[in-house]
Amino acid sequence: MGVTVLAAHNLVKRYGRFTAVDHVDLSIERGELVGFLGPNGAGKTTTLRMLAGLIRPTSGSAEVLGGPVPGPGLRRVGTMIEEPSFYPYLSGRDNLRYASLLHGDITEQRIDEVLAFVRMENAAQKKVRAYSQGMRQRLGLARALLHKPDILLLDEPTNGLDPVGIAEIRENLRTVAQQGVTVLISSHILSELEKLVTRVVAIERGSIRYDGSLRGLVSRMEERVVMVRIEAIDAEKLRSALQDDAVRGDDVSLHLSSGPEGLTRVELAHQAIPDLLRRLLNHGVDVTEVHAEGDDLEGAYLRLLQEDGRPS
Amino acid sequence: MKAMLRVIRAEWFKGIRKRRLYVLAGLWWVLLPVLTISLARVFQVNVTGSFLDETGLVVQTTLQALASPLGAAQVALAMPAFLSPSAYVLAVTLLVAAAIGEERTHNMWKTTLVAAPSRLAVLWGKLIAVQLQLGALTLGAFLTSVLAGAIGTMFLGTTWQGNWGSLLGLYLQQWGHLFTLTLFAGLLIFVLRNVTLGIVATFFLPALIEGLYSIWQATVGFQPLNRFNALFQALELQRTLESLPRWFLTSNLYFPARSTAEPLLSQGFTADPEFQSSPFASLLGSDLTLMHSAWVMLGYAVVFGGLLTWAFLRRDVS
Repeated sequence: MGVTVLAAHNLVKRYGRFTAVDHVDLSIERGELVGFLGPNGAGKTTTLRMLAGLIRPTSGSAEVLGGPVPGPGLRRVGTMIEEPSFYPYLSGRDNLRYASLLHGDITEQRIDEVLAFVRMENAAQKKVRAYSQGMRQRLGLARALLHKPDILLLDEPTNGLDPVGIAEIRENLRTVAQQGVTVLISSHILSELEKLVTRVVAIERGSIRYDGSLRGLVSRMEERVVMVRIEAIDAEKLRSALQDDAVRGDDVSLHLSSGPEGLTRVELAHQAIPDLLRRLLNHGVDVTEVHAEGDDLEGAYLRLLQEDGRPS
Repeated sequence: MKAMLRVIRAEWFKGIRKRRLYVLAGLWWVLLPVLTISLARVFQVNVTGSFLDETGLVVQTTLQALASPLGAAQVALAMPAFLSPSAYVLAVTLLVAAAIGEERTHNMWKTTLVAAPSRLAVLWGKLIAVQLQLGALTLGAFLTSVLAGAIGTMFLGTTWQGNWGSLLGLYLQQWGHLFTLTLFAGLLIFVLRNVTLGIVATFFLPALIEGLYSIWQATVGFQPLNRFNALFQALELQRTLESLPRWFLTSNLYFPARSTAEPLLSQGFTADPEFQSSPFASLLGSDLTLMHSAWVMLGYAVVFGGLLTWAFLRRDVS
């Protein structure tokens, strides 16, 4: 059992009659890399803001490094909440200098280190108003890391980035996590979290719907009916084989798209996929591709939401 | 205290990189002294030996009052207070907007308050940083105007004589009074959540409130007029109008700066006892004292500072 460094106890945030966060309990241990999942408006950012001491909970409390929020423990937290913001008339380096003065005891050498870490050393002298979205994101990460925080709270850190930028940020976060920093990262780009985190906390309509391992979330779909797209060298042969009850088997329904280039889909239980493929091969169909749609974190998550009545 | 010092250093770092500080300094440190000495020279050339000089307006006395090293420093202190709206309001609102309003404009509160979680330290660190910037501007204005006056001594026939201690005291007190204005501007800019609206409100709200309050005070208790009470009601109205400005923010705020003009005003029609006993005398602030205005400003500072701190501590950062 590790040391809990970040905790939320029965956190509630109401805006008038609207409940943005509804009795959220959360406990994150030192060194964990946790994904915070949820669709837009689910309460991710509000929760992160309460954990960072930026907004006051209506009821409940938060703890950082064993101390209350707001409190001195927040000085050991690095944040990037929503789009990172800067003084546009200052250069990237000067924005970091400003932050370093607020933190105190941060050397110019450390500023150089974080700039190099996010590969921004060549653009550091430019005014921030001239930065692209990707550069702002990277500078935001540099600022969050400036004071060597114990905890990182990141809200959609790859928002608006191109694939190269996303890969760079992901690589940076992996490196940070390897250094023992606890990371809570929210995102709705689920495939990004899939490649990064080991634990997932899913929130919907302000309440936690799932809190457990990433594998546990994905395995939920194993028991469920999934839609599988199948491709074969001879598409017509594939279609006619699937129309044969003996080949298709029980509890498998066929969905054919119209036209010669139409897709062939079957709906069946996840664990029934190997048997179907075996029958197709025995029937002389050369299958070239099988793709279980939604067979990833996103699919699992959407199914999780469907359980709670939210349309996917 | 450490956290507050860190905020002050950070704000100073940011503030000295803003162009507006240098524009304000340019106007106050360079333009005003140059104008003062230039106008004094024009006055000297055109009025010396003229009929005005013969009929009692002593050119040298005027030049000494306005363009000697002490006189130029007095002008540098008083002139911003006599402009309308005053240059002091302009300077304070611009600096407060940079320190407090800009955090919202650039969405920086979330960054600042995570790096420095003590909201009390952040707020008061920012306010003190603004006050230090105002102090630097005021000190610079004093030094450059003295320098301009010193140059003037070479061709205007002015001297260094005068009550320097008193003038420095007035500078110091005016700087102190500006802190109340800083708190007022900070309160409006923060509460209204809009820099432009906050600046406009800082400019005009005090005058509006004071005007409405004057009207209300003048009309409340005003009884139906008849030939018996007319005189008493007129006297009552006069007394009300005389005493109101003693408590107004605007008349007390600029009093140290404006009081430097008293020696000049006392030489003109305002020296007339009839004027001194009229309600207009109090509108010029001539019946205030430095001690009185200091206490009034302290009272306002406590109210504005209390409200600003309360609002800042409890508001969520969106």
